[in-house]
Amino acid sequence: MPEKKKGFVQNMREVIYGMAAHDMSRYALRTRASMEHLFILITMGDMIGIPILPPYYSLRLLPYVVPQISTWKRRLLREKDISDAMF
Amino acid sequence: MSLKRIFEQHPERRYIMFGGKGGLGKTTFSAATAYWLASQGKKVLVFSVDPQASLSDIFERDIFGKGPVQIMENLWAQEIDADQHIKQYQNEIRQKILDMYGFDEIPEEIEQYIQAASAEPAMEESAIFDAVVDIVVEGNYDYYIYDLVPLGHALYYLSMAKVYDEWINKITKLREEMREYEEMVSRLKRERELEEDAILRELLYIRSRINESSNILTDREKTAFFFVVVPEEMILIDTQKAAGLFAKFDVPISGYIVNRVVPRDLLRLEIPAYLRNRIEMQDRYLEQIGVMFSDQVVAHVPELERDVAGLPMIKTLSEIMYAD
Repeated sequence: MPEKKKGFVQNMREVIYGMAAHDMSRYALRTRASMEHLFILITMGDMIGIPILPPYYSLRLLPYVVPQISTWKRRLLREKDISDAMF
Repeated sequence: MSLKRIFEQHPERRYIMFGGKGGLGKTTFSAATAYWLASQGKKVLVFSVDPQASLSDIFERDIFGKGPVQIMENLWAQEIDADQHIKQYQNEIRQKILDMYGFDEIPEEIEQYIQAASAEPAMEESAIFDAVVDIVVEGNYDYYIYDLVPLGHALYYLSMAKVYDEWINKITKLREEMREYEEMVSRLKRERELEEDAILRELLYIRSRINESSNILTDREKTAFFFVVVPEEMILIDTQKAAGLFAKFDVPISGYIVNRVVPRDLLRLEIPAYLRNRIEMQDRYLEQIGVMFSDQVVAHVPELERDVAGLPMIKTLSEIMYAD
């Protein structure tokens, strides 16, 4: 894709975003991700042996969480490490 | 009040159920009621979800898992094959995953989950009630006669429905909160509108299905639930317990039908002591039934001289049940 030179306004906008809002949105995304994992735990708990939602209905939700399943399992099984302090 | 009067006075009660311990005549009464209503010109579907269903036997036709089968004018019968329903449902889920992500095959751990989920005992109950919702929502019958499996099953589902409903409310709330965070991020990043949350939509759908299926059992206006009893001690004790539980879950009980009453006319004949004793025993329990359920007893059905199977016998029975 041909790179277009950014105008001054565009540059300023990104700098201001970086100073003011980036942290906030990163925090929001992290919270959102934790909630996502909580959500999968509640609905797909059977996968790790915690049945909560009736399986008939959790199957309906399964297709939507397929991509997150492996990160979710990793996160649940992970022990605390240095990255917890970093991010 | 007679059964016939109840049906005449409450034409809005379109979901008819017969409950009671196994082997007391629920299927027989379902068939006879369906026959009577159909012969009154109403379009009737009588259906069963029991894997050991006996509608096939009573109508003397194999209808298991074949969808609604017409038995005679205005009368259809259906036996739901829960296993088949679950398999079909699993395949739909698999197909959806393949379509959504363009996979060639289902990832192993996902497949394992699909298989494990279907082995759970709650799976069958849910699948059955889900199928019932389909039948009741889709069909355009005047009456649905639900040949209920033994009581525990229905109670289990009702209590499940209550718990699930609360759970889904909580999950939905979590999902909505997640949504707020998502919106916040997209505002901060000045992105355009988010796409619709498909999971939230599914959750709302699930909640509506669960509510719908438990409503069919508890709708005071449209549902008539009849308990089948026989004049025997154990049955009476059990029925009283079950009736209490059903009341707790707001199942509207429309009446009790007493089955297998030995005809009193026999007493005028020379009969063996064996039979005389049975009649005396039944008399005792009939009296007890009168005290327990008083005016809620809507019919006494005699012990017939032979099995009820095939339309002519069903007709005979329906004429007894729905006499004036």
